[in-house]
Amino acid sequence: MWVYEKKLLYPVEVTTCNPKLARYLMEQYGGADGELAAALRYMNQRYTVPDKVIGVLTDISTEEFSHLEMLATMIYKLTKDATPEQLEQAGLGAHFVNHGHSLFYENAGGVPFTSTYIQSKGDPIADLYEDIAAEEKARATYQWLIDISDDPGVNDALRFLRERENIHSLRFRESVEILKEERDRKKIF
Amino acid sequence: MNANEEEWNLLKKVQQADFVVVELTLYTDTHPNDAEAIHQWREAIKEASQVRRQYEARYGPLSLLSVPSKQAIEVGWHWNSTPWPWQR
Repeated sequence: MWVYEKKLLYPVEVTTCNPKLARYLMEQYGGADGELAAALRYMNQRYTVPDKVIGVLTDISTEEFSHLEMLATMIYKLTKDATPEQLEQAGLGAHFVNHGHSLFYENAGGVPFTSTYIQSKGDPIADLYEDIAAEEKARATYQWLIDISDDPGVNDALRFLRERENIHSLRFRESVEILKEERDRKKIF
Repeated sequence: MNANEEEWNLLKKVQQADFVVVELTLYTDTHPNDAEAIHQWREAIKEASQVRRQYEARYGPLSLLSVPSKQAIEVGWHWNSTPWPWQR
């Protein structure tokens, strides 16, 4: 089970209302390489992986949910005071007629989230390589978001998230090595 | 410094201390035999719990794993009170 903590993993301060930036951030909210996909992918893979890597999948998945909440906070703050006209100018007209000011799991192009973004192969090496790729793709997306955003508060939070993806990728690479070592040990004895 | 700022700064300290635990937990997941890291991880949990106690005594629990202090109840703390994290 999980216990809710009434705080963010890292503080999010947004400078101005900016619905266009909010739309771009949706790529990391409900997109293929976004936080929802990451959280759900690891949380589902963990049941059938070797014991030595259950902890890393559980803990990283849990952290991804806290990243999802940071993204939601940014998107909420960037759009809450926007008029329908401003949303339309930012390319969120279609979003507004369907969802109003509420958030939705979709990417920057408005495509709704789908579980076809993620995989669970029942093969720990295949799963972990997918997880490493997912972290690298998320890191790259954060870099493009930082390049396109001029909100200093948002950029501070995005830089934090980009660094976390680096760490997660590293921990998954170490997990692959742990499994390879275990496999080689079994061959020797 | 006004009361809101004081609260916000202390909350940031909780976030900071908790983050050290998050980071060291991931590290020790893949380095279970690193005695120095395990030691740091234990210390980080101790530190985070101290900072949290300090915050929660004044402003109320951040999760329902803590008992609301008399002071927090007196100032009107309730689990459902605002601000929620995205409203700050």
